[in-house]
Amino acid sequence: MTWETVIGLEVHVQLKTRSKMFCGCSTNFGDAPNSNVCPVCLALPGALPVPNAEAIRLATLGSCALGCTVHGTSVFARKNYFYPDLPKGYQISQFDKPLATGGAVEIESPERGRVTIGVTRLHVEEDSGKSVHDRVPGKTAIDLNRAGVPLAEIVSEPDLRSPAEARAYLTAIKEILIAAGVSDCSMEEGSLRVDGNISVRRPGAPLGTKTEVKNVNSFSYIEKALEIERARQIAVLEAGGKVEQITQLYDSSTNTLRTMRSKEDSKDYRYFPDPDLPPLMLDAAWLEARRKELPELPSAKRLRFQERYGLPAYDAGVLVGAPALADHFESVVQAGADAKLAANWVMTEAMGAWNESGAIEVTAPRLAALIALVQGGTVSHQSAKKVYTMLRTSPDEPKVVAERLGLVQVGDTGQLEQWIDEVLAANPAEVARYKGGEQKLIGFFTGQVMKKSGGKADPKGVGPLLARRLGA
Amino acid sequence: MSISREEVLHVAKLAELQVTDAEAKALAGQLDGIVRFVDQLRGAEVPAGTPEFTVGPARVTLREDAVAPIPLDRSPERMAPDWQDGFYVVPRLAHQEGES
Amino acid sequence: MSAVKNIVDAVRTGRVTAKRVVERTEELLRTTAAKGLNAALEWSPEYLGREASRVASRGSRGALAAVPVAVKDNIATLDLPTTCASRILDGYISPFEATAVKRLRDAGAFAACKANMDEFAMGSSTEYSAFGRVLHPEFPDRVPGGSSGGSAALVAAGVVPVALGSETGGSVRQPASFCGVVGLKPTYGRVSRHGLVSFGSSLDCISIFGQSVDDTARVLHVISGHDPLDATSADLPPAEIRAPRTDLKGITLGLPDEYFPADLHPGVKAALDGAIAAAQVLGATIKRVSLTHAKYTVPTYYIVNPAEAAANLARYDGVRYGKRDGGSQVDLRGLYRASRGTGFGPEVRRRILVGTYVLSAGYADAYYHQAMKMRTLIHRDFTDAFDGGVDFLLTPTTPTPAFKAGEKTDDPVTMYLADIFVAGASLAGLPAISIPAGRDEGLPIGMQLIGPAMSEPAMLAVSAAFESALDARKEVRG
Repeated sequence: MTWETVIGLEVHVQLKTRSKMFCGCSTNFGDAPNSNVCPVCLALPGALPVPNAEAIRLATLGSCALGCTVHGTSVFARKNYFYPDLPKGYQISQFDKPLATGGAVEIESPERGRVTIGVTRLHVEEDSGKSVHDRVPGKTAIDLNRAGVPLAEIVSEPDLRSPAEARAYLTAIKEILIAAGVSDCSMEEGSLRVDGNISVRRPGAPLGTKTEVKNVNSFSYIEKALEIERARQIAVLEAGGKVEQITQLYDSSTNTLRTMRSKEDSKDYRYFPDPDLPPLMLDAAWLEARRKELPELPSAKRLRFQERYGLPAYDAGVLVGAPALADHFESVVQAGADAKLAANWVMTEAMGAWNESGAIEVTAPRLAALIALVQGGTVSHQSAKKVYTMLRTSPDEPKVVAERLGLVQVGDTGQLEQWIDEVLAANPAEVARYKGGEQKLIGFFTGQVMKKSGGKADPKGVGPLLARRLGA
Repeated sequence: MSISREEVLHVAKLAELQVTDAEAKALAGQLDGIVRFVDQLRGAEVPAGTPEFTVGPARVTLREDAVAPIPLDRSPERMAPDWQDGFYVVPRLAHQEGES
Repeated sequence: MSAVKNIVDAVRTGRVTAKRVVERTEELLRTTAAKGLNAALEWSPEYLGREASRVASRGSRGALAAVPVAVKDNIATLDLPTTCASRILDGYISPFEATAVKRLRDAGAFAACKANMDEFAMGSSTEYSAFGRVLHPEFPDRVPGGSSGGSAALVAAGVVPVALGSETGGSVRQPASFCGVVGLKPTYGRVSRHGLVSFGSSLDCISIFGQSVDDTARVLHVISGHDPLDATSADLPPAEIRAPRTDLKGITLGLPDEYFPADLHPGVKAALDGAIAAAQVLGATIKRVSLTHAKYTVPTYYIVNPAEAAANLARYDGVRYGKRDGGSQVDLRGLYRASRGTGFGPEVRRRILVGTYVLSAGYADAYYHQAMKMRTLIHRDFTDAFDGGVDFLLTPTTPTPAFKAGEKTDDPVTMYLADIFVAGASLAGLPAISIPAGRDEGLPIGMQLIGPAMSEPAMLAVSAAFESALDARKEVRG
C-alpha cells in the first residue's frame, strides 16, 4: 500500500547585477515604486533590449557550479502571454536552446542518504514587475522596478522523492549559488523563488498526473505545502478518484492549499526566437576561464576539510555552512593551530562572535596563539574562553591579555611540587587510603592542589607529578 | 483548411482582442482567405536541414553592467492612463488568476 | 540635382536664412493641408517656431543644416506625437527620441512634421490610417502607396526634400514608385531601430525618401552606423557617400525571370524596357537569372510579419501609456480586450490574429518555422545570383502604377500581392532602392535595384547613373 512521491522543482534566482537584464536601469531592491524604469523595461514603442554581460557571466558561473554543460550557442526566445506586470506582453527568456543543460546536485536525503538530483537546465530570462492587489480597493497596483531584473531559471529532473528532499535540494542550490557569488538566494527579499511539481504513483507504475504548487516563500513552507499536496493526491487516488492537473497556491497563514481556477486553455506561449537579439555565443576559452573562476564549492570543501584536516563530517558541514568561518578556520590552521582544536574554537567562540556582530574580531594568528597557550598549559580552556572574549575588543596578544587578567597557569614543576607536598602533608589519611588502593582519590588531591594554587596550577601538569609523588 | 468561428474566437482570446459574435463570422472568412493564401508554403519543398533564417549580426554584443538608464523626457506618471501613489493602476484581476 | 545640397549651400552662404527655410516649410504644409493631401499628421506653427529658433541658432553647421525632414509617425520624436496612425496611440508623445532622428537633428536638420501612414505600418496604400487616407499628390483619387504613403507624398509634393519612412516589406520603395520619388531601403541593421516602433522586428528598416539619389545618400550617411542601443545594428561606421557614376561600364545587372512575368502591366514593362536599354547604353552587362523561390515570397512574408507583429503589438494594453477603453471595464481581461479591440483598426486586427494563429500550438511548425526556413532559401537565391557575377538585380518595383483608392481594400490578399517585387529584399535583409523610371498615362513608375548586403554606396552611385540617363517625366508606352 505504499505510494512513491515524484517531485520536480523550478527555481528562479535573481542574478547579482547592478543593472537589469536588457537595460541600464538599477536593480536596487526597495526603491520608490516605478523609479527604476526606462523605455526598454516600460516597453515603450520603439525601445529595444540589449543583454547584460555580467548577467551572462553569473549565469554561466551558476551553470558550471551546478555541473551543467554550458552551450557555446544559445538563443533568446519570446514567451508570449498577457499580464499587467509583463510590460511587453511577452517575457524574453530561452526556450529550446538554453544556456546550459545536464547538471546535478548532491543532497543528503533523510530517507535515502546521499543522492544525486539531476538539473535539467538553466536558462536566463527577465523578471516581471510586481502586482499588488487591493492596495487600491478593487484594483491592482503595478510596480515595474522589478521588471527586467536578470533571472536564472533552474529546472530539476523529477528526481526528488519526498518533500524533505525538496527542501534539502533547495538548501543545496542556495549554498552552491551563494558560494559561486551568483545570487543572494534570499526568499525573504525575493531573490529566490520556487515552484514545485508533484505526483504520486505506485512503485513501478508510470508517472501520475502532476500538480503545481506555488506561492511558497520559505524552505519550510515548500516542504509543508508539498506534504499537504501529497496527502491530498493519495487520498483522492485511494478513494478511487483521479488527480486533475491543477495549480495549488499555498497559504502560509492557514497552512492550506487553495486551487487556482484552472484556465480553459493550457498555456500556449507561442515561443519563437526573439528577432531583436542575435544568438548568444560564448567561445570555449571564455567558458574555460569561467570554470577556473569558480570558487571551491561547498561539497568539495566539505570533503577537503574531512580529508585534509581529519574533521568529522558534522564539523566540516557546520564550518562550510558559514563561508566566512570556513575561511577563518583555514587561516587559523595555517597560523599553526591544531586542526581539531581550531575547528572547535571556530565553531564555538568564533561563530558566537560572528552571530552577534557579523564580524570576526579575533584574527587567525591571535586565535592560533591562544590555542597554543591552552595546548601548552599556560591557560586552562575555561580561562582561554575569557581571554577570547577580551580579545574581541582588545588589540593585544593573547598572552598579554591572559597575564593582565591573571589567568596564566603555573606549570613550573618546582612550584607544582611544592604545592603537592603541602597538600599531601595536609591530608595524610587520604594519602594512606590512596596507597591502600583508592586510586580515584587522585582527583581529590588534584582539586586540593588547584585550591591551594588559587586556580593557577595547570591541572595537566599536576596529574603526572602527583602520581609520581604518591609512588608507583 | 478552413478557419472556423471557434478558432477565430480562440485566437482572439490568446491575443486579448475583442471580437464580437457579429465580427467573428466576417473575420473567419477573411482569415480563411489569408491562411489559404499562405498555405502555399506548406507544400513547398524545403530541403531537410535548412536552417531558419537569422538576420543582422551573427552574435549578440553584450552590454556592460552599469547603471545608466535611457533618460525619460516625461515621467511614467504623465504617460499613465491610471496612476495612484506611484503605481500603475488596473482593474482587479479576476480572483486567483495569472502568472507568478 | 540635390534639393538637400541646395538648402545647405544656401544657408551656408547666407543666401537664405534657416528661419526662412522653416517658414517656407510651414507655408507648404499649410498649402498641402488645404488641398486635403492628409499626408502630415502632426505639425504645428508653435512647434515650427521653436524649431526655427533652434535651427537658426545652430547657424550653418552640420551636413544637413536647416534641412526639413518629414518623419513617419512610427518613428519616435520628442516634441511631436508618435501615433503610428492608430487610435491606441492617439496623443502619445514619446519620452525618448529615435537614434535616426537624433542624428538628423545633430546634423542640423529639423523634423517638419510627422507623416501619415498605414496603421502600425501594416498596409500598402495608406488607406488603413485611423486618421484618414493620404491622397496621391498628383492624382487625388489614387493611393500614394504604403505604408509610408504620407512621407512619400510630402517629398513628391515638394513640401520636404527628404523624409524618413520605414520598411517591413516594401513600405518605402512601393510608395516611392507610385509617387515618382527615390526610395531606399538600407541593409537590415544599417540604420538603428532604436525609436522605430517595432512591427516585424527581423524585417523593419528605417528607410529614406528623397527627391533625388543624392538627397537620399546624404541622409543615409547621417543616420546610418552602429548604435549600442540596438542589438541588431551592424557594427559599422556610417555609410560613405560615393561619387555618382556617369556610366555603368563593368557593372553586371541581373534580371530575375520571376520578376518579369509575361502578364506584367504594359506601362511597367515599358518603363523597365527603357531602363534596361539605358543601362546597356551606359555600358552595363545584362544577364538573366532565376530566383527559384520567388513565388513563395509573398506567402512567406505574410507569415513572418504577422507573427512578429502579434508579439510586438502585445505591449499596447492601455496600462502604461496610450488609450485605454474607459471605465466600463471592471475586470482586467475585459480592459485589455476592449482597449485593443477598439484601439486597433481592421488590418491590424487581422494581422495580429493571423500572427497568433501561425505561432499557435499545432500550427507553428507548418507555418512559422516553415516560413523561416523558406526565408533562408529566398536569401540564398539572392546571394547565389550575386556570387554568380551579378552586381545588382534590376526589377520593377511594383506590378502596377498607383491604383485607385478602394480598389484593393475588399480583399486583404489582393492588397498583399502589391508587395510581390519588394518583399523579397525585405525577407533577405538586403538593400534595395526604387528610382523613377518613367510614367504611364501620367502615373509614375519605378525601377528597383537590389544589392548585396551593405552595398548601398555602390548602389547609390549606380542609381545616380540611371537617374541622369532616364527622363522620368517622359511618358512610356508599351
